[in-house]
Amino acid sequence: MKSSIIALSLLLISLAAVPEAEAQTPAPKQSEPIALTGGTIHTISGDVIENGTILFEDGVITAIGTNVNLPSGTREEDVSGKHIYPGLIDSWNQMGITEIGAVPMTTDVNEQGPVNPNVKVERAFNPESRWIGVGRSAGVLTSVTSPGGGLVSGQSAAMMMDGWAWDEMTLKSGVGMIVNWPNPNNDDNYTDAIDMLRSTFADARSYMHARMAMENGGPRHDFDTRWEAMIPVFQGERPVVVSANEVRQIQDAIIWAEEEEVELIILGGRDSHMVADHLRSKEIPVIITEVLTSPNRSWEGYDARYALPAKLHEAGVKFAIAGGSSAAYVNRLPYEAGAAAAYGLSIEHAVKALTLYPAKILGLRDRIGALEEGMDATLLITDGNPIEYATQVEQVYVQGRKSDMMDMHRQFYEKYREKVDQRQAER
Amino acid sequence: MMNSYHDVSLQIRRVGKSISLFAMLMILPLTIAAQSFTSPTDGMKVNTPGVHAFTNATIITAPGETIENGALVIRDGVIEAVGSNVDIPSDARVWEMDGKTIYPGFIDAHSAVGMQNPRSELDRGNLSWNAQIRAHLNAEHEFESEGDASSRLRSQGFTSALSVPPLGIFRGQTAVVDLNDGSVTDRLIRTGVSQSVKLTRSQELGFGYPTSPIGGIALIRQTLYDADWYERAHETYQNNPSGLQRPENNAALAALRDAVHGEQPLLFQTNNDEEILRAMRFTEEFEVTPWLRGNGHEYKLIDYLSERNVPLILPLNFPDKPEVDTPEDALGEDLSVLRHWYLAPENPKRLAEAGIEFSFTTDGLDNPNQFLNNLRKAVHVGLDKNDALAALTVNPASLLGIDRTHGTLEEGKAASFVIADGDLFENGSRVLDVWVEGHYNRVNRENTTDARGRWEIVSTDASIDAELHIEEDRRGRLNGKVTIKGEEIDLESVSVHDASRRFRVTFPGEEIGYSGKVRLTGSISGDDLFGWAEVPGQSRVQWKGNRTELPEESDDSSDSATIDRDLVLEDIRPAMEYGVKSIPSQPQHVLVRNATVWTMGEQGVMENADLLVTRGRVAEVGQNLSAPRNAVVIDGEGKHVTPGLIDAHLHSGVTGVNEIGNAIVPEVRMGDVLNINNIWMYRQLAGGLTTAHVMHGSANPIGGQNVHVKMRWGSLSDDLKIEGAPRTVKFALGENPKRVGSDRYPETRMGVEQIISDRFSMARDYEARWNEWEENGEGLPPRRDLRMDAIVDILNEDILVQSHSYRQDEILALIRLAEDFDFTIKAFHHGVEAYKVAPELAEHGAGAVVWSDWGGFKIEAYDNTTFNARLLHEAGVLTSLHSDNSQIATRMNWEAAKMVRAGVDPETALGMVTIYTAQLLGIDDKVGSLEEGKDGDFVIWSGDPLSTLSKPEQTWIDGRKYFDLSQDRRMRRAIERERDQLIQLILED
Repeated sequence: MKSSIIALSLLLISLAAVPEAEAQTPAPKQSEPIALTGGTIHTISGDVIENGTILFEDGVITAIGTNVNLPSGTREEDVSGKHIYPGLIDSWNQMGITEIGAVPMTTDVNEQGPVNPNVKVERAFNPESRWIGVGRSAGVLTSVTSPGGGLVSGQSAAMMMDGWAWDEMTLKSGVGMIVNWPNPNNDDNYTDAIDMLRSTFADARSYMHARMAMENGGPRHDFDTRWEAMIPVFQGERPVVVSANEVRQIQDAIIWAEEEEVELIILGGRDSHMVADHLRSKEIPVIITEVLTSPNRSWEGYDARYALPAKLHEAGVKFAIAGGSSAAYVNRLPYEAGAAAAYGLSIEHAVKALTLYPAKILGLRDRIGALEEGMDATLLITDGNPIEYATQVEQVYVQGRKSDMMDMHRQFYEKYREKVDQRQAER
Repeated sequence: MMNSYHDVSLQIRRVGKSISLFAMLMILPLTIAAQSFTSPTDGMKVNTPGVHAFTNATIITAPGETIENGALVIRDGVIEAVGSNVDIPSDARVWEMDGKTIYPGFIDAHSAVGMQNPRSELDRGNLSWNAQIRAHLNAEHEFESEGDASSRLRSQGFTSALSVPPLGIFRGQTAVVDLNDGSVTDRLIRTGVSQSVKLTRSQELGFGYPTSPIGGIALIRQTLYDADWYERAHETYQNNPSGLQRPENNAALAALRDAVHGEQPLLFQTNNDEEILRAMRFTEEFEVTPWLRGNGHEYKLIDYLSERNVPLILPLNFPDKPEVDTPEDALGEDLSVLRHWYLAPENPKRLAEAGIEFSFTTDGLDNPNQFLNNLRKAVHVGLDKNDALAALTVNPASLLGIDRTHGTLEEGKAASFVIADGDLFENGSRVLDVWVEGHYNRVNRENTTDARGRWEIVSTDASIDAELHIEEDRRGRLNGKVTIKGEEIDLESVSVHDASRRFRVTFPGEEIGYSGKVRLTGSISGDDLFGWAEVPGQSRVQWKGNRTELPEESDDSSDSATIDRDLVLEDIRPAMEYGVKSIPSQPQHVLVRNATVWTMGEQGVMENADLLVTRGRVAEVGQNLSAPRNAVVIDGEGKHVTPGLIDAHLHSGVTGVNEIGNAIVPEVRMGDVLNINNIWMYRQLAGGLTTAHVMHGSANPIGGQNVHVKMRWGSLSDDLKIEGAPRTVKFALGENPKRVGSDRYPETRMGVEQIISDRFSMARDYEARWNEWEENGEGLPPRRDLRMDAIVDILNEDILVQSHSYRQDEILALIRLAEDFDFTIKAFHHGVEAYKVAPELAEHGAGAVVWSDWGGFKIEAYDNTTFNARLLHEAGVLTSLHSDNSQIATRMNWEAAKMVRAGVDPETALGMVTIYTAQLLGIDDKVGSLEEGKDGDFVIWSGDPLSTLSKPEQTWIDGRKYFDLSQDRRMRRAIERERDQLIQLILED
């Protein structure tokens, strides 16, 4: 075995002979048509196309298939033997608004007070965060960055993982209104917190009516920044993403959302399999936030969390798989779906849980989550299925930009590989 | 009858009605003090005779020995005669005991009597340096009679008790006292019975070392060595002090002399099953005599305890009902809690049936008056009454060394006994009187005044002529009806004041034409009542009553509804979900056929290969091996087999991980606090983990010693340890050790480096002094300092350093420091920046134990890279992965798989959770690869262990199958069933 290790080390040394650490510079906008040819195209929404071509212009897919006419000036890239997937979507994390968890000055997640429907993550999104590159090279090309804390935390946004500044990186703002369902373990506190949630929504709704009345000639009603942000929620334009894990939280949130007549997405959903029928009958989707973990009750099976996606799938509940809250671990997203695949979910659905399903649930289906004409050219070129550990993500495109594949992990590797080489040369 | 007897409390009552309870308490000790041998008589000499005969009683003289219609004669506090044919002395006062039962007085083998206000601060005298060491305190010196628990203990039938000092780790010496009220001078039966020890610190004594269970045990160990040294040092000094430095005079160490030689028992107060094992472990190292104050979990250790003849003192503090009020509450209760609720009352029975002897204590009860109730519960679920009585009398008497005078009712023994109105081990009976060394104490009044039945009431003016019907409900409360002027009216209240025989009833008068309540009050004399009434709108009316019908005697056996005991719960270990009846058997031969075997040794990865494990060890890996006779053959077609995975850095399965009371604590040992009640162990087995290095935390530049364990689910904690594994110690650099406390040195990385360096120097001096003394034997014997011993071993590489680290500078600093002291650091853990000093690590010979992709969570972790392990490996550093996390430890194969994505070849990647890990932990002679002679620890995977799609199907350790996927599924169903049954029982209760 030792000899094989030495041989491999030599091989790796040669592979690592990339000259200088690159600067992770954002890529320019797509300026010429690009065609990826010869690869296996996983459209996700449709068939797998073997030996296909995908053509994109100005960041948008213009043709896809086995018989694609390329406009003149198309830059062709032969990707024979490779696989093309839509970019992975982390449907819940804190990318760009937290850098180092233990250093408060680097985090912009929890605004003061319990009710902050007006805050928007994209406006505090740090494009220089080193985790953006780490996510990109793991194939995560969209992050639905979400605020936290309090009762109504604020608005999440779908952020693209390439660009110079937050404005051009924002795929969609106001994706969801994040709400933290209260802890049910103390009856009195639970009652108070639910009452507060209901009255918050009632206040916001009465504001909306007052403003509508004003517009129709009624009495003047002054502007309220917070309640203004709630209007799209009542008008069905912005789902409420309710963090709820325990069975009571999930079921109580369903009833609440029904009474409030708002669109509900369950976030977390640890016990969601216990009320799967209820979720299915109301067509409420679940964003599962942690698969690669263990149950919090000793009597549950050791694989309870790994098996949750498969259970929801069998029960006909719509779901997506998200990473964790920590931006630093965005590279683990594929493995979260991988664990689900080891415990009952098919690979096909596991990949969908990172692409098509979150795109549908979060209203991004027209742009990302699948490879179709008219959708964004946000895609990966890999040597295999993106949820398998051994798979290498070789190149990504974000709205047609060919992104730099350097990230801080690799940059540190290359810099200190140079130190090892220098020391060995000195000897 | 009784109130004519001379009795302390009644004497006081004669002083006058107005006397307050407080004043009574003040006077009580004075009255009792009249008994004292040396105190002068105060006031009038009391010469009431102390001769009493109790006749026609059922007398239980000892467990299993009953005299019907017997008599007991006592004289001046001592039993003069007992038997069925006893002459009653002419000077005796005779007590008619028909229908009553007399038991020997109960002995509480572990009480806090007299210790209600312990001194937390000892601020003078020749004390120990550590506030938790109070071995020199004596219960009798600390004893406070006023407000002690005697009367509460008597109410449960106790007449004597062991008084145990309650604070500290070494708490002081215990004493047996009788439970009369009054000065301990008169009550003391025996002193110096045992030294009281608790394994953990008392908060009341202030913050400081030891802050943790590991530290507590280390302090006990060090103190025992100190006590031994202390005796020898003083001996040397006494023999010839000339030229010698005078050794310290330490009262606590002096007080431990007998305990260290096993001549005085160490009475350990344990709080759970693990603490019992922890206490017992001292016997392996010291010649101490342990006694155990148990905790109700002993039934989990029956096999262990029946092999050891250790005195056990059992509390009867049964757990509260688990929270299952709502289905959601029930979801949150673990099986261990549900099971313990059901099984705790069976604890004494199970021990008795296994032949294990024990004594009882009220210790642990919120209030001692719950004792009899719980005792009856224990009897109800099967504890033999004789065993119960023995645990209250002869067993504690013998244990506490008072059996010549206490424990049975025999001629010549102390007149301490209990009078009950029935069988005390059955519901419905009551303790009436408790005689303590010849002193009468009333507990419950015998209901001499019985108001129940039908009474005919005739008043002088006929205005309230009536019939009263008085009944008693199941809780003993009186109620009833009055029939008057043709109306039947419910009584609003009925009361009887037994001492004065006064009887009162109240009922509304409106229905019979009065404008308010009618109140009758009177005195009962047998079946006659004489009274007067307050009638609204009339003057007081006199009346007379006559009982026309006696109450029906109800059968009491139906009360105290008890839960259905049909549910039989088998003994499992650990006593929780997935617990097993025994560890799995070890087949002589196990042969896995036709699998892809990752040997992680010279044979590499072999396809279509067979693995043969014989008597728990790897015998051979090869193709087409022939199956030995009786071999268990497993078809491995399509499967992969790897060595059991190893986690180099784990903190689960221990009670507390950090001793923060001192910056340098290598004397503490994680192996002292293993805890099998740990669901993670099962989950880790399910993930293919077979071995882990369980480590001290990162609060100290030099932390504690770690322990190598195998996931032998179902074993006792001692059996988890890997025998022959080298000792290792945790160091910690960077942010964590410098931010513990605001005034603890060090607070910078500079200080971290210096305090380590300073202790290294100290240890070299310590070693030199020992060597000198061993050569020439001159001077005082040196003290054995376990902390210094450990550092000497570190410098001599007998203990391997495993250092927590993040930044490159601190890693380099420890390397250079070790080089200054001429030894090698075995491995740097976490090492988020280890890749930055990879050449230096390789040159020093240190290994690296790192995360696959953990980082970014704090500033010193910001420069993490998933290529860390790869670069270290490429630079020639022996590199392993670790979890530092109970959950990640359940899937170390996937941690290795991430390395494949980072560019490491699969075999090397798997090596980072098997053979390289074993090498870094110094256990590669036993585990880490499938090579002949190594432990039969292997995992059968559904596919490639580095694929996201694979999972373990079987996990074997020592040639025993500890995890099996299909068995796991069966156990889940059984767990659901058992939970359901227990929840139903709780709802019914």
